[in-house]
Parts: sequence; C-alpha cells; structure tokens
Amino acid sequence: MLEANDTDALVAALLDSCCEQVLETMFFAPVLEPADPASSSGAARVDTRLTFEGKPSGAFEVDADPGVARTMAANFLGVEESEVNEQQVDEVLAEFTNMTCGSALSSLGCVEYFHLATPRTSRPVEFAPSINGVRRAFLLENGTLGVCLRVDLDGM
Amino acid sequence: MALKILIVDDSPAMRAFVRRVMRLSGIEVEQYMEAGNGVEALAALESSGVDVVLTDINMPVMDGEDFVRRLRGSDRMQAMPIIVISTDATTHRIQTLLSLGANGYLQKPFGPEQLRNEVERILGVNHA
Repeated sequence: MLEANDTDALVAALLDSCCEQVLETMFFAPVLEPADPASSSGAARVDTRLTFEGKPSGAFEVDADPGVARTMAANFLGVEESEVNEQQVDEVLAEFTNMTCGSALSSLGCVEYFHLATPRTSRPVEFAPSINGVRRAFLLENGTLGVCLRVDLDGM
Repeated sequence: MALKILIVDDSPAMRAFVRRVMRLSGIEVEQYMEAGNGVEALAALESSGVDVVLTDINMPVMDGEDFVRRLRGSDRMQAMPIIVISTDATTHRIQTLLSLGANGYLQKPFGPEQLRNEVERILGVNHA
C-alpha cells in the first residue's frame, strides 16, 4: 500500500507531466521552469476550481496570473490577445482546469472512474488557495500558473 | 471529399478549438454545425445529416453517453460515425462509450495529427 508521501510524490510528478503536456499541446505555451507555488498567495489571480466525484473523489484548483490567463485564451482560440474578452478567458481557463484534472486522474493508476463538476472561476485581488492538496507551479512566458490537486483516497 | 462536421460541446471555447485544430489538420471541411448538448445535437441532425459527429461527454441537459445511446437507437442515424472527445481516459469510461456505439475516442489533450488520424481511421479514408 502506498504511504501518503509516496502518493504526494506520484501526484506531483503527474501534475508536472500533465500540465506540461496540456499547455504545450493545446495552449501552445511551453513551461519555462518550475515556480514556487507559494508565490501566488496574496497576488491578483484568475482562480478556477472544480470538484470531482467517483473512485476517488477530490478537488482541483488552478490559479493564473491574469496575463497568463489571457495569453492562454488567445493561444487556445487562435486569436490576438486584444480580441479576447473576460468571458472567453474564464471559459478557456475552465477548459484547462477540466482537461488537466481529467488527464491527471486518468493517469493515476488507482482511479476507477470519476465525474468532474463544472469549473467555477473567480478573480480574487488577493488569492488564497481554497483546497489543501499537492501544489505545483510553473513559469510561463507572461507569469506563473499554479495547480493544486486533492485526491481523497480514503475508502478506496 | 469535403466533410460536414457536427461539434457537440457545451463550451464555445472548446468548439472553437476543435474547428481550429480541424483546420490545422488539413482535413477539408465543407460545413461545421455546432450544438451545446445532446438535445441540440439531435435537433440539428433531424434537419441535416453530417459525415462525422465529434462529441464531448460531460454536458448539461443531455450528456454524451445519452446522446450516443439515442443516436444508435435511431433508425436514420444509427450508422453515423461518432468520435468522443474527452479528458477522461479511464478504461471504465472508454469501454462504456465504445459499447454504446461510439466509433472512436480521442483523449484531451490532442493536436491536429491525433484528430486527423482518428477521423481518417473511422471514415476509412485519407484526406491528404
């Protein structure tokens, strides 16, 4: 049976791999280097979170520099940043949240099935993480992107 | 041969991305139809047939599983090629959709090459 530290290390590696793959394949935004996940606390961010039910259940959160979120939206939609409105930024960050969480869960060997709830986006002036899980952060061209995954393995 | 494609996804951003990737794939498309859920998709298909349906799973009103089930239960549309596009790549989910009658399953993230390969595979043609 996996110990908690082993599970956290596995989830961290999966988040690194899945984020990098999703960002490069669908957002044309390469990860430049790892970043400090704590650095986004207290800063203005675009924050998207979702919960999932199944075996296992849990939660996933993405926080992005507003500039990063806008660049991701423009790249995803194939338009100039000046053409992207706030609703599109929210929709695209929700897509990133959905597919990165789903990709990570699909790669986690112990997952039997899951259902992702609809992501919710907010724009806190002073961001504070809303879930307690494995956090990772990445430096992209215009700033940083953070992710956090909590997997509730109890009862599995 | 230029294709008529129906994209079923509740996210306008994702529908725009699929159109973009389809364009980048080099597949010639004559017409895109779009729907935000299974009910809208069935209504769209009542008035016009398509060559391929690309559908999400997790949608409000009628989800992708129910949509595939209804298509396969329809005399007129039961042979229509369906590719499911989803972030969920668990064996449970893939087997469920394929057993309901989906012809292909494309996991996100995907790029032009993966989309092209899946479309060509289920149509049995080469659009190069």
